[in-house]
Amino acid sequence: MNNHLRTLRADRNWSQADLAAALGVSRQTVNALETGRYDPSLPLAFKIARVFERPIESIFSDEGA
Amino acid sequence: MAVEYETRRTSLLVKSAMFAGLAVLGAAFGYLAAQFADLEAHAIGWDDSLAFAIAFGLLTIAGLSGVTMIVRPSAVLPGCGLLQIAVFALAGLMFLAPMVVPATVPPVWVFAGIVAAFALQTVANVIVWRRADEMLRQLMTDTSTIAFWGLQSAFFLYAAAERLDLIAPVSAWGMAGILMAVYLVSSIVPSVRRGIA
Repeated sequence: MNNHLRTLRADRNWSQADLAAALGVSRQTVNALETGRYDPSLPLAFKIARVFERPIESIFSDEGA
Repeated sequence: MAVEYETRRTSLLVKSAMFAGLAVLGAAFGYLAAQFADLEAHAIGWDDSLAFAIAFGLLTIAGLSGVTMIVRPSAVLPGCGLLQIAVFALAGLMFLAPMVVPATVPPVWVFAGIVAAFALQTVANVIVWRRADEMLRQLMTDTSTIAFWGLQSAFFLYAAAERLDLIAPVSAWGMAGILMAVYLVSSIVPSVRRGIA
């Protein structure tokens, strides 16, 4: 699974810790998500979409995965 | 666009220094443990050596986690820091106690202490699970799966070989050491995969 989390976060000048706090997860989890080492559960993916105010499919894609 | 990478990479030099430091700590731990344990009264077999190594590893992890919590709080999982330190420290002490403490304390009191520590550790483990986020829970689940698969396979092969009188029986203490060692090694695989280790 690919995602644009790192770019979206950088657009908002958020640190990984800021995003982790907004999502209610650890900074390590945000790092693992950004580096593609962990695919989020569906509830977490929806939460990420809500935080960035974007549809899930514009954040995550399965192309090349 | 410049994107900030927040995960610091540890240089080979720093890693080497850390390993050297751990080796010195291990030597000091072994020396001190030998001073407390009644080595002449009890033969130290491979099972005790393994338990000593595991106890040292667990207590070292607890100590390093404490230092990390102070120096780099962002590297510690929220809400789990102190509890994880307690879990590692209690596990280390429980492995050490049956070998070191009986020289000065009656065995029944040592066992009572171990039961109390085990109860405390179980509570701490449950709280860590409840406070952990989904990735940490996944890590714990993956570790348990790998450890169970490895152990049950090895246990069956060992049991079959023992039934055929091909190998000597292993004590329960030795098995406990093997179980913990396999669990700790198993935890490395999912941790590296998720970029935690």
